[in-house]
Amino acid sequence: MNDHDDILIRCHELTKHYRRGDRTVTPLQALDLLVSRGEYLALMGPSGSGKTTLLNLVAGIDSPSEGKLEVCGQDLTQLSRGRLARWRAHHVGYIFQLYHLVPVLTAFENVELPLLLDDLSRRERRERVESTLALVGLDDRMHHFPRELSGGQEQRVAIARALVGSPELLVADEPTGDLDREAADAVLGLLRSLSREYGKTIVMVTHDPRAAQAADRILHLEKGRLLEQEGA
Amino acid sequence: MLPLGYAIRNLFRDPTRLLQAVLGSALVVLMVMVAAAINGGMKDVLSASGSPDNVLLLGAGSEESVLRSEIAERSAGIAETSLAGLSVVAGIRAVSPEVHQMAFLSVSKDDRRQAFVRGVTPRALLVHRETVVQQGRFPESGEIMAGRLAWKRLGFPVDTFTPGARVFFEDIPVNVSGVFAAPGTVMESEIWMPLGDLRSLSLRENLSCVVLRLGEGAFEDVDLFTKQRLDLELSALRESDYFAGLSVFYAPVRGMAWMTALLIATGAVLGGLNTLYAAFAPRIREIAALQAIGFGRGPIMFSFVQESTLACLCGTLLAALVAIWCVDGIAVSFSIGSFVLRVTPQVAVTGLVTGLMLGILGAIPPGLRCLLPPLPSALRSAG
Ligand SMILES: Nc1ncnc2c1ncn2[C@@H]1O[C@H](COP(=O)(O)OP(=O)(O)OP(=O)(O)O)[C@@H](O)[C@H]1O
Ligand SMILES: [Mg+2]
Repeated sequence: MNDHDDILIRCHELTKHYRRGDRTVTPLQALDLLVSRGEYLALMGPSGSGKTTLLNLVAGIDSPSEGKLEVCGQDLTQLSRGRLARWRAHHVGYIFQLYHLVPVLTAFENVELPLLLDDLSRRERRERVESTLALVGLDDRMHHFPRELSGGQEQRVAIARALVGSPELLVADEPTGDLDREAADAVLGLLRSLSREYGKTIVMVTHDPRAAQAADRILHLEKGRLLEQEGA
Repeated sequence: MLPLGYAIRNLFRDPTRLLQAVLGSALVVLMVMVAAAINGGMKDVLSASGSPDNVLLLGAGSEESVLRSEIAERSAGIAETSLAGLSVVAGIRAVSPEVHQMAFLSVSKDDRRQAFVRGVTPRALLVHRETVVQQGRFPESGEIMAGRLAWKRLGFPVDTFTPGARVFFEDIPVNVSGVFAAPGTVMESEIWMPLGDLRSLSLRENLSCVVLRLGEGAFEDVDLFTKQRLDLELSALRESDYFAGLSVFYAPVRGMAWMTALLIATGAVLGGLNTLYAAFAPRIREIAALQAIGFGRGPIMFSFVQESTLACLCGTLLAALVAIWCVDGIAVSFSIGSFVLRVTPQVAVTGLVTGLMLGILGAIPPGLRCLLPPLPSALRSAG
């Protein structure tokens, strides 16, 4: 197997600046990172160290100021805003700490959203939504609205929504940050099985060392730089 | 594409805001419909008032206003005998000598209103064919006849001009002989009285105009006549052209109606946009999440347009109902006449277009609010 094909995320001297008034903040500083296809990576680091910034860049939510960034074989620095949106739809599923479900849509409709971007028949969409909700263990909550679900259930709906379009890459920003231990364990178990059984590449930001233990590799960020590497 | 259900359910997310949007757009649409009805009504009454078959003989130089025109009394007789091709009814040529002037009318001593008074002979009915005496009869000396909307134009009670009633013309008592209709024309707001009476009461030797009705003849014949008889100092004008000129003269009045509607609408829109803008803060993060999923700005904007258009169309429907129930049929007066506000198809279409425009306009504030901030900041905004 070609080594090139095995790398899903390739960051080279990745730098991000933000202007804040007349000051420039640099949450990411010349960061080098390679993530293999199928790898489960945990990102840790103090608040403000640039974890979310890195995740947003990798997920095509934000664009780098300098450096190279290639994800799923696509040079993300070259894409316009609209093309980047289309790229996200097909290659990345984003899981947020606060779920970000659409409150006026049911669990089913929330999960269906990414599929509306493709030309699928209503039946195809229904089958995929139902099987994805079954995968996260919520086939009995399909027609509930987010306010009728627990936090853990909401997060599992959000995972189903990230998953339903079969993206190669899942990114999660503190997915268990707002959950109690039991719900957190369910979400972590789900992520691990997505990695092990479905071969998904996962980049997860977490503050919780226990959550990080589930990953193949743990990276520590501090002031926009990578510190050390652990795990296998 | 986001489902229509998303737009519909978003509407009911904040019932106060929905109510504001519906009532606000209803107000704007109603104002625009009223302005359109005033505009249309005034134009229609002026264009209906002038017949293309009638020719006015006015004093040369007074073509713009019959009230200012003065012509010699003999002009009527000379025109009648010189002109061939006039309409003839029962052997009588359709030539109507007339005096038009503003005069005070009152019901009681200190309640004087300025009326448009036309001094006529019975021949007036030969030229003004749309005129029908509805109640009573044509006036004789010491009498007047009122158009059926004159009470409205003058601000008198509706039964002021019932035949047999007594009113005061420049403080002189006169009897009402009848009421006439001339559907859709300004004449319905006028007071008619015998030509001789009006001339002696106003100490006038001359006429304001002579109205001719053409039969076989053409306007050009009349025009040529005025140019040949320069001694009479006449100018010939098609009655329809005369009223087209008046319509242009009153364009600023119609403009005022539009301006008023526009001002009220602008106020309502600005107020509405402001509440809309404020109400969208909780949705910034949700919209950011939709963008993170891969929805572009276009489909999200389209959903906002659907949402606000639905609200504005409800407002439009409300405005249309109010217009039909409360505005349709209201008589409006201006200086030379009255007309009735009607919800015509044009007025309805104007209202609908306004409602749709408001809908699209209403999508702009949430659009700006949710789509302008960079995606990473929108995702971390408080929701
Ligand atoms: N859009 C932005 N504009 C300006 N500064 C920003 C922006 N986004 C992030 N920053 C700054 O960049 C730095 C890193 O932010 P980031 O959100 O990546 O940190 P983090 O590691 O995710 O922190 P936390 O653990 O608190 O989520 C912070 O100092 C933050 O204030
Ligand atoms: Mg963060």
